[in-house]
Amino acid sequence: MDRHDKDVGGESAGSDAAPTGSDAVPTGPDAAPTGSGAASAPTGSAAASASADSGAAPAPTGSAAPAPAPADSGAAPARTGIAALSRRSQVVAALVLAVVVATVCVHVGMVFLHVAPSNTVSKEHGRTVDDWIYPEFEQNWKLFAPNPLQQNVAVQVRAQIRTADGTGRTTRWYDLSAQDGAAIDHNLLPSHTQQNELRRGWDFFVSTHDAQNRPTGLRGELSERYIRRMVLLRLHRHEPLARGEAFDQVQVRSRTTAVQPPEWSDEKINGKPVLRVLPWWSVTPGDLPLAGEDRARRDVAVAQNGGVR
Amino acid sequence: MISFDPLARGVQRVTAQALGPYQTAVVRIGFAATWLLFLLRELPHRRELYGPDGPWSWDMARQLISANDAFTALMWSDGRLWFEIVYFLAIVSSALLLVGWRTRTMSVLFMIGVLSLQNRSIFMGDGGDNVIHLMAIYLVFTRCGQVWSLDARRAARARAPQHDHGDRGSLGADGSRAVDDDLHADGGGRVGGGDRVGPALWWVLGLALSVVTFLGELSWFWLLLFWGMWVAHGLWWAAVRRAPDGEARVLLDVVANLAHNAALLVIMVEACLIYATAGWYKIQGSRWQDGTAVYYPLQLDYFSPWPELADLLTSHGVLVMLVTYGTVAVQVAFPFTLFNRRVKNVLLAVMIFEHAVIAVVLGLPFFSLAMIAADAVFLPTSFLRRLGRWVARTRERLLARVPRLSRAEVPQGPPGEEQPRDAAEPARVGFGA
Repeated sequence: MDRHDKDVGGESAGSDAAPTGSDAVPTGPDAAPTGSGAASAPTGSAAASASADSGAAPAPTGSAAPAPAPADSGAAPARTGIAALSRRSQVVAALVLAVVVATVCVHVGMVFLHVAPSNTVSKEHGRTVDDWIYPEFEQNWKLFAPNPLQQNVAVQVRAQIRTADGTGRTTRWYDLSAQDGAAIDHNLLPSHTQQNELRRGWDFFVSTHDAQNRPTGLRGELSERYIRRMVLLRLHRHEPLARGEAFDQVQVRSRTTAVQPPEWSDEKINGKPVLRVLPWWSVTPGDLPLAGEDRARRDVAVAQNGGVR
Repeated sequence: MISFDPLARGVQRVTAQALGPYQTAVVRIGFAATWLLFLLRELPHRRELYGPDGPWSWDMARQLISANDAFTALMWSDGRLWFEIVYFLAIVSSALLLVGWRTRTMSVLFMIGVLSLQNRSIFMGDGGDNVIHLMAIYLVFTRCGQVWSLDARRAARARAPQHDHGDRGSLGADGSRAVDDDLHADGGGRVGGGDRVGPALWWVLGLALSVVTFLGELSWFWLLLFWGMWVAHGLWWAAVRRAPDGEARVLLDVVANLAHNAALLVIMVEACLIYATAGWYKIQGSRWQDGTAVYYPLQLDYFSPWPELADLLTSHGVLVMLVTYGTVAVQVAFPFTLFNRRVKNVLLAVMIFEHAVIAVVLGLPFFSLAMIAADAVFLPTSFLRRLGRWVARTRERLLARVPRLSRAEVPQGPPGEEQPRDAAEPARVGFGA
């Protein structure tokens, strides 16, 4: 419902709570162009004539030298650029130029304010900046900044399965993050399904829930459903259901372990993992992703419609 | 004209030329290739990532998107077939953008593909997706097919229908360089006579756009952009047809050049902002200050595909500190080095190398490729031309080994290169001071 809360397409490795202290952010925007754009080589006056190897009206051009005549047509300096236009067209071109310049300035300014720390200007005009930036120009370049993540977060899951005879069984805990890690090991091309899906999904969940694991708003509820669907997809790969069986409930927990400091450092940290255990969630048919899992979907449906109560 | 003051000369310059043809071409090729490779790599996982029944289901995406109005064609229908079509079109458009076939049109379709998939499942992406997302939008406004494209080759042929390859030197500094127009509508101008494909493509896309408009799926911004593009193509075609050197054509050319140069500038600024942000925020972090930061990502399960290599790299505290400080220094310094061509090129090489290392060591190949593609906008023209010649030579050598028969099937060799004809090339100062 409101733009501030749109999600980052970017890496969320860094915390959003960046120290506000840096007024030192460079004035990148102005620096860039001057250095490179302006200085680019004259693109060869010959080239300019390219499109117009015209016999017609050799108008003078701004590009300095007269173009070397193309061999095949015997003439004509280029007719390009604003100098080659009639008065009336020049007015049009000037207007376009003004619009383009204004747009570039505004855009660059907005992007700058968006990526810069919250400051005098962006506090005052935050709304305007957001209106311009979201949704398509959102960006987050705090790559491993201000500090790189220093803990491994493992998301683990177990399920209660309702069996055909009406009793239930509980699976063991599956460490889905460890599975991701194993899939990434010695992999030159890790998939987003291995590297981002669960990691960012869990970030999303954490950022939309309070310490008591209660969702904050619509996004919180969406993130719960997302996690549920994700873990069920994975579970189903590891716990093939027998006929008549169905997932009844799932439970998710996270296990956070601090990365040990390097051996050449004399730092000491507490290496004890921290557990965050979520309550059991009931599984509904809508929680089973990918149509490939049709069977599971049907199984849940059967169970819920009282097939096995 | 000589009495022009600097401002007027500058205005003439940005209206007469689409600057940095090689740079924009390499950026186009870089991002198209990155996205294409990504889509192919994720082919087996496409439904899990973006499909209507993936963990982030169509319905959930709709709830989120209704709050932020992000553009995605995947929201137009929850059908699985539609999803497959969009994914397929995204692959095709990246491939065609890569080779520069109807470049402008493909750049629009490429952007549609990128936005559709990424906005559909926002939580699947990372920094690499983010930079592709932005550049896909910016590329639409550039004339990125001036060189190293099928369009450039077609235009060069239409312009110079001589049969032997001998006298290309006269074609201007280098033939393809001269291809300043947008060729999608009508590459050959009057020379080739009838380009059928361009107009056909134009009609088909116009029809598709009408349907989408009629369905009411597009917000005013996108309507304006897409219809604007469509109309501009029509105007261009008409102007070229009526009077290739006429006023209308020159005016359209001026507008296109302005848009191109502005977009090129924005691309460069964006790259600088990325580095500046990444650098300046790092300075504030205690780990970047105490010189251990580089050690930590390499210990994360999600970013350590080669634990042995990571251990080796981080076994020396001093080395880690140097890399840590060096990374920050390079990122912070980069925008300012643009004022000095030599220093800039050195830093550029360092950054490209660092990204290549990151690709492997942190297991972020597509992120790294995207960043390298963005860096490429700052490569000097002389280097790019050398690269182009080298690629062309390699290609010719490879083709020479291929038996005649299959050679005929590859129409005159793959596209990337139209260049290497700089016998008559004026000494070129590089791009960037």
